[in-house]
Amino acid sequence: MANQMKTFKIIVAETAPIILFGLMSSLKKFKEGNISGIEVDSKELLFETISSEEIDLLIVNPTFGGLLHPDEVRKSSLNPDIKIFAIEISKLNKATLSLYDDHIHVTDLLNEIREKVNSALNLRETEIEEKESLSQREKEIVSLVVKGLTNQEIADKLFLSVHTVMTHRRNIARKLQIHSATGLTIYAIVNKIVDLSEIKLNELRNNLD
Amino acid sequence: MKNRTYTSSDKMLALISNDYRHLHVLSRFGIPLGFHDQTIEEVCRNAGVDCDTFLTMVNFINTDEKPEISKLSLSALLHYLKQSHSYFLDFYLPSIRRKLLEAITMKDTDVSFLIIKLFDEYVDGVREHMEEEEQHLFSYVEALIDNQGVRTDNLPVYSKHHEEVGSKLRELKNIIIRYCPADSSANLLNAALYDIFRCEEELGSHCRIEDHLLLPAIQWQKMKMA
Repeated sequence: MANQMKTFKIIVAETAPIILFGLMSSLKKFKEGNISGIEVDSKELLFETISSEEIDLLIVNPTFGGLLHPDEVRKSSLNPDIKIFAIEISKLNKATLSLYDDHIHVTDLLNEIREKVNSALNLRETEIEEKESLSQREKEIVSLVVKGLTNQEIADKLFLSVHTVMTHRRNIARKLQIHSATGLTIYAIVNKIVDLSEIKLNELRNNLD
Repeated sequence: MKNRTYTSSDKMLALISNDYRHLHVLSRFGIPLGFHDQTIEEVCRNAGVDCDTFLTMVNFINTDEKPEISKLSLSALLHYLKQSHSYFLDFYLPSIRRKLLEAITMKDTDVSFLIIKLFDEYVDGVREHMEEEEQHLFSYVEALIDNQGVRTDNLPVYSKHHEEVGSKLRELKNIIIRYCPADSSANLLNAALYDIFRCEEELGSHCRIEDHLLLPAIQWQKMKMA
């Protein structure tokens, strides 16, 4: 849900126009996620795109641009978790298929393509969405942050280095998906990590009215 | 009927009936309603709006087709984007704030006021970003339109900012959904949240226009002048 607005970038790498455009317009029909389809018709453009943009899924003809090894693509991909599908026009051997995350056969029904694409994309989504709970130390740090202490003050109080405090704060932001001090304060109060009375209310209430 | 491409001979009414969100495009171009059964071309002509830019905009928002940058009028595009900024800052975001205030009972004993504060901080961020864009990017475009010589300095790039603005809104939305006080009015809060979801969509589309129409149009204009 939180990722509803995330746009998934899918590259279709295929030289035969019928298959290229057929796949592109199939992708457009999938309304579950925001899918942005990118057409690629040369090996050069493919590598340029995957190394400069976070691509979620590559659908590629295994014979594309000579011969293409999926691991070669994974190595140059900006997104290390890129999923790669093979376009199967004629029967591919098992060894070739095993290099890919999945494959789309030219006779696949729209629903079958959709299911494959969704399962590849959802997988990533749940990975990002996975919520982790805070450790005791992290909770301590949250409580000090929302009380207005600086990183240095927190470090002194907990006998940690400032560097460690900053690492903790980055982890907290990642786990909670909250990056602002106000957001963190809301989290801390609702989860009873701090009490409302411990927070400088007047300061916060300023310029609200 | 979504995702279709419109042409100048289509009825303006059909455009809106197919997707009411086109109403925003009309108002940002300064096209008033009450255009009877006129075609897009007629309505644009009567309103003094560059029809090609209007259509390119509509089709860009609707489809993933590559926009024809050469057809864009830079000044019409700039006008549109300025109106769009003013819509977010002067109208939409304040109206969402009012709805939030209505929905959430303000108390000293819970996080209600912090949620409004978080919203205000978000709006401040958007305002800052848009003002900076107007100061640097838009004035650059104005100079280009007035033919005050092609400036060779690098164009400011805002796509990174755009991602930040987007992720902050997502964060705000999720915090409201997760942590808003239980005694908030469900209907009013939903209304505010619907607006926030829509705002997220509209801001996304606005940023896409800046990144994929305005910037290429600037490059195109510079090429023509060179």
